[in-house]
Amino acid sequence: MSNENFRRELNHTFDEMSGSPSPALRDRVRSSIAQAPEARGPFWIATVAACVIAVLVVGVLFVGNPLRRPTSNAGVGAPTASPGASPSASPGPSPSATPDAQLPAFTCVQQDFVFNATTAPTPTPPVAFVSSLRTGAHDTYDRVSVEFSNGMPHDVQISTRGDTTFTQSPSGMAATLKGRKGVLVVIHGSDLHSAYNGSLDIVTGYPILAEVKRLEDFEGVVQLGLGVNGSGCYRAFFLTNPDRLVIDLQGAG
Amino acid sequence: MSAAVLEQRPQILARAAQGDLESFSQLIDPLLDPAYRLAAVMLGDRSAAEDAVQEASIKAWRKLRQLRGDAHSLRAWFLSIVANECRMARRTRWFSVIKLAELPAQAPEGRESSSDLHRALMRLAPDERLPLVLHFYLDLPLDEVARTLRVSPSAAKSRIYRAAKRLRADLTMEEVF
Repeated sequence: MSNENFRRELNHTFDEMSGSPSPALRDRVRSSIAQAPEARGPFWIATVAACVIAVLVVGVLFVGNPLRRPTSNAGVGAPTASPGASPSASPGPSPSATPDAQLPAFTCVQQDFVFNATTAPTPTPPVAFVSSLRTGAHDTYDRVSVEFSNGMPHDVQISTRGDTTFTQSPSGMAATLKGRKGVLVVIHGSDLHSAYNGSLDIVTGYPILAEVKRLEDFEGVVQLGLGVNGSGCYRAFFLTNPDRLVIDLQGAG
Repeated sequence: MSAAVLEQRPQILARAAQGDLESFSQLIDPLLDPAYRLAAVMLGDRSAAEDAVQEASIKAWRKLRQLRGDAHSLRAWFLSIVANECRMARRTRWFSVIKLAELPAQAPEGRESSSDLHRALMRLAPDERLPLVLHFYLDLPLDEVARTLRVSPSAAKSRIYRAAKRLRADLTMEEVF
């Protein structure tokens, strides 16, 4: 096969393979271009992508709730005034990032805190497992957070006392904590051994909150003793995401 | 492409780049036929070839501002978009499974030599067929083949020769160019 023949045969084969385009191709292309967005593609694509990313970020922040703010007022601790309870105590909807004005007032008397589960998705299991005990120092108060792994406990009772000597249960032995005044936290429907493996006696070195000690972890009741140096007054509230009980101890004031 | 269009091409290209659809159509219309032939040989499927040309035209419309060089670069630029569209079409699973299975049935039943050549062509990878189509079928000069393939002219020459040798082993370089 000569060179010319090779070229002719090759082109003939190409012709057989391709045929001719349909007469409608031109109109089809023109029509599809007319319907396509103009040659500004990258900009509108970038705009759409930016919007999608923004929505995703907002969604992740909303779900993840990295500031640990409660998603709403619902489900926040509802203190039930015991005899002599301060009338100014109100549900505390906000974490530390919220202005103090929105937190419940400090009180120096006994209060019962009942988690209001009626409007919140957080469950109140028969036994709420404590998963961590955390402490933190702030300008005017120190904080204890009791975190639960499986939902909120039914009922929390908090009371203050003039000294730091508590009675452990069920042993009945006395335990004297650091500090000048004491705060007793009794959590009903909870335990400190199923999901918790941290320290049971935390000495903080903070100016207000001196020590946190387990007094009881028996038959669904957890008692924590707090030794404090401040006024002995406190405020307490529930927060969600994660589920936790927050107790702020007031400085000397 | 008509002489009038050739003379006005820089202005038409500028208007098309600014979003004038009519100007773009004037530029692209003469290129649809070679684009279709290229796609049909690469894909071995006429319907898929028209789809590829349509998609490539939309992409060219959207990316016209990215065209480097003058209006004379348009053909190579557009054909390279078509070739790329064909590669993407072949990558899709449905094409690999269905269309490749159909290929033997599409072989023409004609003269023996033509049928042999057709089979030999279909044994080449689509990217090996591409330089042959550009050089022999569309009659593009070597430098334009090189721009379409996005390689140097010497590399383009080498690819054309290598592919042609696979069709006819006794071809010499002088016979090809």
